[in-house]
Amino acid sequence: MEAQRQCQVQSVTFITPETFILRFSREDLTFQPGQYLSVGLAGHREQREYSIYSSLTADFLEILVRVVPDGKVSRQLAQTKPGDLLAVDGPFGYFLISEAQKQKPFLFIATGTGLSPFHCLANSLPTLDYQFLHGVRHQEEQYGYAEFDRSRLVSCVTGGGGDYQGRVTQYLRDHDWLPETQVYLCGNCDMIYDAFDLLKEKGIPSSQIFTEVYF
Amino acid sequence: MKYFILNLGCQMNQSDSERIQAVLQQMGMEKTENEEEAFVRGIVACSVRQKAIDKVYSKIYEWNEQKTSKNLLTFVSGCILPADHEKFLKKFDLIFSLQQLKDLPDMFRQYGVTTPFSASLEREEPEFSPLMGGFWQVKPQYSSPFEAFVPIQNGCDKFCTFCAVPYTRGREISRPSAEVLEEVQNLVKAGYKSVTLLGQNVNSYGQDRPGQEMTFAELLKEVGKIGQREKADFWTYFTSPHPRDMTREVLEVIAEYPVLAKQIHLPLQSGDDKVLIRMNRNYSLDRYRAIVTDIRAILPKATLFTDIIVGFTGETDEQFHNTRLALEEFQFQMAFIAQYSPRPGAASYRWEDDVPRDVKKSRFHELTEVLLASSLAYNQSLVGQTLRVIVDKPDRKPGYWSGRTEGKVVVRFPAQEKDLTGQFVNLRITQVVPLSLEGELIPEYAGQLSAL
Repeated sequence: MEAQRQCQVQSVTFITPETFILRFSREDLTFQPGQYLSVGLAGHREQREYSIYSSLTADFLEILVRVVPDGKVSRQLAQTKPGDLLAVDGPFGYFLISEAQKQKPFLFIATGTGLSPFHCLANSLPTLDYQFLHGVRHQEEQYGYAEFDRSRLVSCVTGGGGDYQGRVTQYLRDHDWLPETQVYLCGNCDMIYDAFDLLKEKGIPSSQIFTEVYF
Repeated sequence: MKYFILNLGCQMNQSDSERIQAVLQQMGMEKTENEEEAFVRGIVACSVRQKAIDKVYSKIYEWNEQKTSKNLLTFVSGCILPADHEKFLKKFDLIFSLQQLKDLPDMFRQYGVTTPFSASLEREEPEFSPLMGGFWQVKPQYSSPFEAFVPIQNGCDKFCTFCAVPYTRGREISRPSAEVLEEVQNLVKAGYKSVTLLGQNVNSYGQDRPGQEMTFAELLKEVGKIGQREKADFWTYFTSPHPRDMTREVLEVIAEYPVLAKQIHLPLQSGDDKVLIRMNRNYSLDRYRAIVTDIRAILPKATLFTDIIVGFTGETDEQFHNTRLALEEFQFQMAFIAQYSPRPGAASYRWEDDVPRDVKKSRFHELTEVLLASSLAYNQSLVGQTLRVIVDKPDRKPGYWSGRTEGKVVVRFPAQEKDLTGQFVNLRITQVVPLSLEGELIPEYAGQLSAL
């Protein structure tokens, strides 16, 4: 972990009415794909944790933020303008892919903004053999897909209009997975719990299941 | 000029307080345990539980009431949540972080309080390290003549959802190993018998400066070498390690050096994988099991302690049962079992505390029974053995002393000696109950004592 940095906001891009990509200067920050940062406004004591969305090679940092109605930091970040300063701590976290794993098949599963670390992983490690299940409620939440290999991505949209109509867990249940699959789960705790049970039923040991819960 | 400090919380706060006291005493102040006679009154705060935070508010309210008739200066430091920090600014005269401790004399002077030290503008300032603002370079005022706590790290990067430490103490910073080893060496030379290396995640020591700082295993090895070099008799402990960062190398180093105590405190928190996910602990029960297997193989005589939380948000009967099974499997010698209570500032504080209080209580009692049984089974295996014990203090029972084994099991024994505090003695274990032992000084040792 490195010391706290002050990073300058470069852009705020809303991709749904509640979700935006916050881009800011990298300030030589080094990280591993899958890690997260603690971010807040410079000079304010409150910070929150966000997975890194941008790739290792980008000369900027991006995080995907969903505005929480009673959330202090997400609302502050949504109102930032280019040039504003952010306090950035990190990187943190263990949602990583080791060298020993890289040749194995991966199953990435996310709901909503849980897509963020996979966006970073897929773009930073382009040779990974992965399939990505992204669960959302509505069609307009299918964001960030342009930077994925679309043949590896299945959008599971409960409201209809995606590659699959239904929850990611339903898709998981309906398909078979290689026993050596390394499964990475990111999103809300309920989805992770359901997927965890299904994966164990399908014979994937817990040592091959990695989680990043968004609280 | 007298000062009074109220310490709240853990051993880390105790250790921090020892450094704050050292600065106050360097300023010419005198410590008192009677707050009524103190002009300077401070609190080393803890934010782990709401009760501790409430204590700060009630104490400062009381002190501020007294200000109408007394001249007082109040301060607060320690673990403070951002929201409380803003409120404390209005209630305390001074609020400072540990990193700002070196500025305390100047703060006093700016506040209009002068001591011979703080009034001196020409005093020689030592060169402070940029890490923690030189906090660790302050020589502490140890509260015990034979047992010391040595901070090796501050802060936490783990973000467990039930804990607010990352928000109160900030990110993990490792104290320079040269400073840690110098402090340990000085303690050993001064005859200290028990040294505990402190940090929120001691075994991630050095990870904040990879390649520039030692790993935790390397640091332990150097402490072991101090024992060899000084031919000293002491036990070194550490608390708390995180299962995610525990390595075989750490255990192998402990096995190699006699001064590294054969006692491991490895917080489990829950025996259910899903609860561990919700707690953001970043290990599975299988991973924990693998570490325990290594401990049993590499350190067969080590005692194993743990921490458990029952009734964490959403914990079902089945999930709790898995924790019970884990306790039965791992046969801990000690478990610090807590009934979950939401901690302000922690992620879980925002979640419904949905396990009823009576269910938490019943789970707490159920696990306590399991612990008592495993503790008793272990203690019974010690009957008849001769064990080395550090004497802590006179026991409540007249004519008895209380101490602890290398594995930190409490032992009581009768002895007529005037003061055995801080000495190693050899005891034959005669009787046991869960969580404690009773022994007798072995005759040859009793003879040695009376000859002294």
